[in-house]
Amino acid sequence: MPKKAIWLIIFFTICFLLGVNLGDLDYLMNLGNTICLSCIGVG
Amino acid sequence: MTSFRWLVQTLVTLGTNSYLLFPFGSVIYQGPLKAVCHPGLNCYSCPAALLSCPVGAVQNFIGSWRMVSAGGLPQLGTMVLGYLGFIGTLVGRLPCGWLCPFGFIQDLLHKIPAPKFNLWEPLRYVKYAVLVILVVLLPLLLIDATGLGQPWFCKLLCPSGTLFGAIPLIILKPSLWQTLTFYFWNKIILLVVILVAAVFISRFFCRVLCPLGAFYSLFSRMTMVQLEVIAGNCVECQSCVRSCPTGVRPYEDPNSRECILCLRCLDACRFRALTFGLRHYAGEPETPDSGPTRG
Repeated sequence: MPKKAIWLIIFFTICFLLGVNLGDLDYLMNLGNTICLSCIGVG
Repeated sequence: MTSFRWLVQTLVTLGTNSYLLFPFGSVIYQGPLKAVCHPGLNCYSCPAALLSCPVGAVQNFIGSWRMVSAGGLPQLGTMVLGYLGFIGTLVGRLPCGWLCPFGFIQDLLHKIPAPKFNLWEPLRYVKYAVLVILVVLLPLLLIDATGLGQPWFCKLLCPSGTLFGAIPLIILKPSLWQTLTFYFWNKIILLVVILVAAVFISRFFCRVLCPLGAFYSLFSRMTMVQLEVIAGNCVECQSCVRSCPTGVRPYEDPNSRECILCLRCLDACRFRALTFGLRHYAGEPETPDSGPTRG
């Protein structure tokens, strides 16, 4: 296994867990539950 | 392998866009799965979408960084960065080749009988500019009076948003016609150009404009899995090059940033000169029967 990849996996896992604990899940769910006006070209 | 990939692409595209109650409910799916990002480009405003769009999520997180209430912490969005980085480190651009619904649409369009053309190589660098400018810089720098940035990639360019989000929503809610702006017609023109280009140039959007592919490609040379060339078996017959949808020369550069790991080259090679598997660490001894490899 390449060492660099293992360190990156550890780093990104920490990033992921940090985000989950800082409330990113709720933010993302609220975001996904609203229609993205930019996506449909309104405003 | 090719038939299996078609099956996976079909199942993922249909499976992640399988909310069929949208005509009877709140137009789009609103449930716990929206806290999960799709690994490919799939607009979360698609009425049938079950998952969130990773590029839309990144832009919205970045756009909110400067709108911090007094004493509050910005919502950094490290969860999405971690998620995408984890996927990128594990498998690189494999989601582009196997899981992305918009990539699948382009593969289908390229099946239409028509003259096929090669891409002018320097155009592949445009996607890195799209990633930096539209996904990171503009949402961060162009803020409104409340301090909120806009998702400029979604607003100006995203063809997945137009195809899977805007068009179905406008059909479902005709009242939206009254509110459409220049941005909508701009995106409709771009969508047509991108879809027509996909007929003549394979994976045009993925190779030239996709910021998600650009992000995953940053990890192409250090992923846990890799394409490997068994140099002794390769006769440089170019079969792999002709089969590659992104114009890679696998026998010269099996870890190319353009490679979406669709593995069509494995099917095309009659000499078994290509393999796909776990990447070897530089210090690991090679297996006795593997022969000299490049990868």
